[in-house]
Amino acid sequence: MFGWEYPPYSAGGLATATIALTDGLVRLGHEVVLVVPFPAAPDASGARVVSASDISPNLRMLRVASPLTPYSAPASAAPWARRLGPTAYRSTLFDDVEDYAQAAREIAARHTHDVIHVHDWMTYAAGIAARHVSGKPLVAHIHATERDRSGEWQNPDIRRREIDGLRAADRVIANSYVTKRQVVEYGVRDEHVDVVHWGVDRPDDRDVRFRSPFGEHVPIIAFVGRVVMQKGPDYFIEAAARVAALNAEVCFVVAGTGDMLPQLFERCIALGIAHRVFFTGGLSRAEAERLYRMASVVVMPSVAEPFGLVALESLRAGTPVIVSRTSGVAEAIANLLTVDFWDVNDIADKMLVVVSDPVLAAEVRDRTREELQELRRGPDESARLTIESFQAAIG
Amino acid sequence: MDVCFYFQLHQPRRVRRYQVFDIGSDAYFDAAKNDGVLRRVADRCYLPATRILTDLARHEGARVSMSISGVLVEQLKAVAPETLASLQALVAADGAELLSETSHHSLAALRHPAEFAEQVRLHRVLMQATFGRTPTVFRNTELIVSDELASRVSKLGFAAMMVEGADAVLGWRSPNHVYAAESAPSLRLLARNYRLSDDVAFRFSARDWSEWPLTADKFAAWVAASGGDVANLFMDFETFGEHHDAGSGILDFLRALPAALKRSGVRMVTPSEQAQRRPVGRLSFPHSMSWADTERDVSAWLGNGLQHAAHERLYALRDAVLGTGDASLIGAWRSLTTSDHFYYMSTKWHADGDVHTYFNPYATPYDAYISFMNVLRDVEQRTAEGGRRKTESGRRKAESGKREAESGKRKAEGGRRKAEGGVRKASPARDKARQGRPSKATAKRKK
Repeated sequence: MFGWEYPPYSAGGLATATIALTDGLVRLGHEVVLVVPFPAAPDASGARVVSASDISPNLRMLRVASPLTPYSAPASAAPWARRLGPTAYRSTLFDDVEDYAQAAREIAARHTHDVIHVHDWMTYAAGIAARHVSGKPLVAHIHATERDRSGEWQNPDIRRREIDGLRAADRVIANSYVTKRQVVEYGVRDEHVDVVHWGVDRPDDRDVRFRSPFGEHVPIIAFVGRVVMQKGPDYFIEAAARVAALNAEVCFVVAGTGDMLPQLFERCIALGIAHRVFFTGGLSRAEAERLYRMASVVVMPSVAEPFGLVALESLRAGTPVIVSRTSGVAEAIANLLTVDFWDVNDIADKMLVVVSDPVLAAEVRDRTREELQELRRGPDESARLTIESFQAAIG
Repeated sequence: MDVCFYFQLHQPRRVRRYQVFDIGSDAYFDAAKNDGVLRRVADRCYLPATRILTDLARHEGARVSMSISGVLVEQLKAVAPETLASLQALVAADGAELLSETSHHSLAALRHPAEFAEQVRLHRVLMQATFGRTPTVFRNTELIVSDELASRVSKLGFAAMMVEGADAVLGWRSPNHVYAAESAPSLRLLARNYRLSDDVAFRFSARDWSEWPLTADKFAAWVAASGGDVANLFMDFETFGEHHDAGSGILDFLRALPAALKRSGVRMVTPSEQAQRRPVGRLSFPHSMSWADTERDVSAWLGNGLQHAAHERLYALRDAVLGTGDASLIGAWRSLTTSDHFYYMSTKWHADGDVHTYFNPYATPYDAYISFMNVLRDVEQRTAEGGRRKTESGRRKAESGKREAESGKRKAEGGRRKAEGGVRKASPARDKARQGRPSKATAKRKK
């Protein structure tokens, strides 16, 4: 398996998904050689982790770690990432991808394997190179397309690599039907694309909640995600202003970084809600976990959301989620409060109800708990479906 | 051997997506959607099926019974007067006996005896005014019944009541007899034969059913062989043309059925005729039962926290609403008592994703709940204002009319009963229970 994001160098959902999947595969008794493009953390997973940087000296942590996201300002802004500046993609990114592919040949020759599994466009070239050496089937997993990441401002090189990789693969795994539809539009045959929703651990029964730092009875409405156009943070702010006008207590938290931050600051001031909206910057996993357990509701008004792991994490912490109805996660979980991302009145209406109506919040929480408790939505089930896809590829 | 048909006619006034920002507007209902659904169902089912029944009554002496909710009658008056006229013609031709129910197809029986009695009275008055008939047999919303309710219905002066012929109640006994209520022995109970009813209501157009296609003669033979005194075939009227569209042959089936029944020696009788029979035994309902779902209980409407909270809040406002004497406010409040609003809040099958398989004006049960609760907040405000908001309502109506038109566009229309039909079909356990028609063994057992 050729990964890209992996602890300690993770910024988005891809790392979380990779850990859950490799753990699941190992638990099912399969041997996983996980290749990562940087010096590996030794104990991050039950899988054997192989670092491509041992083979290709060109792959160094600093250079390769940034495209983990692969966005300009990673949410968990590590010191090295902050220096990267505001351009969309670093110029060395494609070099990294090429270096990774070079290393992949050697790794494929060294480690016996039955199937090659790659994640998102950054790793597709590596997968194709590995298949060239071993002749084993290539399964391309797609977690987010270039369209999901960049909307109208897609990088044509990345889009081309993405499409080439998907078409070259013997089989494709999409993380939602939303994503699958795009893959099929790229010209991949429908029957070659499997859908495997991301798994999330079952909710713990402890139901730990943290008190709001703004005061015991001050509800928090949180936005968690990159502050970029695709995630719809501007709709969050517009809805927040409507809520603030009707509810004098509630506070808003925007957790994440991105190029829209300055615009949001200005908008909050113009709307007169700057004193009630708190920007935290990127959060570590533990911090995010804490926020989920403080918030009354997490809102994801995404314009494009191939899956939306934040929703699962929030639900797992027992916090209801308002999510754009076109999100991939809405396929997997029924008990979400769904909205059209542009319908800020609807978003505001639902925000208000969740913070003021304990009956609704409790119903969502209970039903979601039931849903998450079904093992078939857990990581092991995702792993099992992934294995089925592998078997289809092996033929 | 007799057969007794009862068809349910009802369409709710669906609440529009009413946001907190809409509070202050008294346009609660999605006029565009409600009118659209009604026209569609009237064109596809009510009108053609009623005309067929009227013909059959005139030429072949066919007799059925119908329960027509008050909310439907009011909507038909406004939107489809020719359909109402055709129903009046059917009743005038003695083709259909009218049954009594609550005016607003409500769950009042479960919550508020006084409101229940009042809605029964309102319905009776409406039937007399619209059709010139006063019903003598009662059927409660979704065939909900309990021992306590049966005795209340008896006290209201009814001779008989329709109930679900649930296995849990009948045990080894056949639904094909007249029973008495344990709690009110003078009240006759007519129990639905769900196997035969569902052969028509659910399986008729199922091409993977081993008995497909179902002809009138085949079905009449099943009825004749089902044993007992009378087979009670209760179903939604939307079965004829809406749940099964005309292309399935359902209307031709209906047209051919009376003659086929006659050939099989089966007589068509009405509920009030049946009520003359001597009961063969008594039925008891310690818990509330209905004709819905595998459970045959009331959990589809009052099964989760949302539904209970909304229902409680609604009835908590009753006395204050009635106290205003504002007819439009009281009418709106009563329209909110309709059971469908609570059905839309059900999260029972939500986890299976089955919710997506049936028509429902809301994307999720949470949307249904949020809109309903926002509307109640407005009702509360209007109540506090003592109905003084009237002067503004014209302007607001104009505004909201525009919104309603927009929201009406959002989704394709469909029959409301399709919803429940779909859910019932989608419930695997119940589906299994319905697989195939009654085997010979079952028929024998009944004899």
